[in-house]
Amino acid sequence: MTDVYTTDIALEVRELSRTFGVRKALNKVSFDLPDGAFLSVFGPNGAGKTTLIKVLTTVTVPSKGTARVCGLDVVEDAVELREKIGLISHNPLLYPDLSAEENLQFFAEMYGVSDVSDRVRELLVSVELDHRRMDLVRTFSRGMLQRLSIARALLHRPDMLFLDEPYSGLDPHAMDILDGLIAQVRHDHTFVMISHDLDKGLELCSHALILAKGKVVLFDSKENIDPDEFKATYRSTVGMGVA
Amino acid sequence: MKQLKVAIVLLVVGGLLTTAAFFMAFYTAEVQRFGTITVAEQLDTVIPLESVTADGFQYGRPWFSQKIFYFHVPVAEASFLVFGVAAFFAIRFLMTKKREYDTKSRMAMETSLIFVILTMITGMLWTRASWGIWWEWEPRLTTYFIMTLLMIAYFVLRNSIEDEERRATYGAVFAIIAVIDAPISFFITRLIPSSHPVVFQSGMASSNLVPFIVAQVGMLMVGYAIYTMRMGEEILSERVEAVKEALED
Amino acid sequence: MAAGTQARPSARSLSWRQFKAILRKDIVMELRTKEMVTSMGLYSLLTMVVYQIALSQSGSAFDPRQIAAGLLWLAFLFTSMLGLNRSLVHEQDQGCLEALLLAPVDRPVIFFAKAIGNLVFLLIVEVLTIPVFAFLFLQGGGYGGAWWMIPTVLTAGSIGIAGVGTLLATMSVNTNGKDFVLTVLMVPLMYPLLLAAVSATTAAVLGGDGSVDQFWAGMGGVAGYDVIMLLAAYALYEFVIGA
Repeated sequence: MTDVYTTDIALEVRELSRTFGVRKALNKVSFDLPDGAFLSVFGPNGAGKTTLIKVLTTVTVPSKGTARVCGLDVVEDAVELREKIGLISHNPLLYPDLSAEENLQFFAEMYGVSDVSDRVRELLVSVELDHRRMDLVRTFSRGMLQRLSIARALLHRPDMLFLDEPYSGLDPHAMDILDGLIAQVRHDHTFVMISHDLDKGLELCSHALILAKGKVVLFDSKENIDPDEFKATYRSTVGMGVA
Repeated sequence: MKQLKVAIVLLVVGGLLTTAAFFMAFYTAEVQRFGTITVAEQLDTVIPLESVTADGFQYGRPWFSQKIFYFHVPVAEASFLVFGVAAFFAIRFLMTKKREYDTKSRMAMETSLIFVILTMITGMLWTRASWGIWWEWEPRLTTYFIMTLLMIAYFVLRNSIEDEERRATYGAVFAIIAVIDAPISFFITRLIPSSHPVVFQSGMASSNLVPFIVAQVGMLMVGYAIYTMRMGEEILSERVEAVKEALED
Repeated sequence: MAAGTQARPSARSLSWRQFKAILRKDIVMELRTKEMVTSMGLYSLLTMVVYQIALSQSGSAFDPRQIAAGLLWLAFLFTSMLGLNRSLVHEQDQGCLEALLLAPVDRPVIFFAKAIGNLVFLLIVEVLTIPVFAFLFLQGGGYGGAWWMIPTVLTAGSIGIAGVGTLLATMSVNTNGKDFVLTVLMVPLMYPLLLAAVSATTAAVLGGDGSVDQFWAGMGGVAGYDVIMLLAAYALYEFVIGA
């Protein structure tokens, strides 16, 4: 269904399985995602969403099958691949006892960014935290943390951003800010987002994927999706997931 | 269930062999004057026990301590071998990430724990018979004590992790590092002067060697039988799990 | 696609940068909160009180120098576990470890940086503890060996504690009952190291005939343990941190 996009493929997932004993976190997952797309991954708890993200971000290795992200294999080219991807999670992934600036500086060093202080300053300005740069992260509100964690994810200028339920635990105001930030970087990044929120996920995405029990239930581009039908399909999977 | 049959046969044969060795030890093996006895005699002069003065009893203690040797040493060697097997499967697991190797490693660790505890008990009986005390911090006993603690730690670690794969990985890592630690323990404990007899230094008469080998072979059979039986049990429960999983789909 | 991809620095210089960044971050955080050194220092002070109780009935003829080394290493072992646990809890707290694993960093770099950080804090606490211990228990006893003996064995022993401890703490923070599991894993594994270190330290404290031989025998044990166990910990760390 997506074979038209063979020239620029951001994600190429082939028969990807992740099993341990009889438990199958991912079961022969295959799909292709074109460059610049926004993929929303839906599925009940335990459907394998987090495992999929972990495999695609090279944190864990697949048991069988292959996945190429930005043209790089998740096993063989793991180190190069890590430089091309960023993650924004519902966890801020920041050290509470370091200031905003120190946090960004630390992660910039980890990625080997060449112009650390300029890059850090530039990002702090773009997420509007420049005035709080010396403050400890533990004093930040949920919304500020989320903004700073986006800055962290963008430090090394990744091509692809993974979002792991970024909206969970945010108040409406913080949600708006997050929307704005995503819109800002939307044009030059490919996105993969895990979401529990069907409406939000459908609104943002260009492609949607439903996982249940580690299998692909549905994968299609947004034009081919009828929202009501989609929601019905999603609901039918909810009972299946909790093994 | 061919494996189970093999296991039962091995258990019976192994049991018979160890029992036979036990009788041989009492009826055919001659009491040797090396190792144990010299140490015991040294200790006798230092701490004379009243009961030893009676004629029949004079040989009493070394006699008993030699008999326990035919059980103690085979079980100790078996325990170390099975401990090594556990580490081998732990390495295989880390290389392949296949759950079967984790199960095998855990089963070997269980079997080894049984043997290590048996070694400790027979060791203490021996210490009591030869040296008149129940416990002595000498290298081998201490090493085995540490090994027991390491094995207990292995099971504590496993039981405190819920995620199956993480449990298996951490278990394997700890099993490997524990197997490396045990010989270091033994080696370093020897920095402190030891009084444990070195048995093979002076060789053994055939009347001693035969029951010893019989006991050793028997013990390894028993060990393998315990391991296989537990494996059979595990494989069954894994199958049940697989069937459950399949039914849900 | 992303603006300005910087020139790839050589792998080794990047690793060195990352190593320094992790170490500096740990030290900055510690200087700011003083959490580890305070709790460890206080804990070792409390141990001294317990030692006083233990020795209270030994009478004036008893020379505490005979068991001083054992008491000291006991205090170091238990305080080290407190610090190790804290050091890894910091990483786990906000999911920072996850962010660290997403960076293009060789896993051993994380191991060595964390281990060296732990070693530094442990050595600081040891240097603070020893004078207090000597003041409380060893007055008028005199010191038998050469001056360099104690620092040598202290450093060598602490390397083993920090190295193996970092591996074990990385596991134990992911279990239920973090500190308890660490104790259960750590004490039996540390047995040979402590035995050798106590033997060497006792030789240094008491001096006299044959003490130099005993010192080097003990040091040999410590060094052998360090080399073998650190190699094992280094090789196994990747599995632990990825699980």
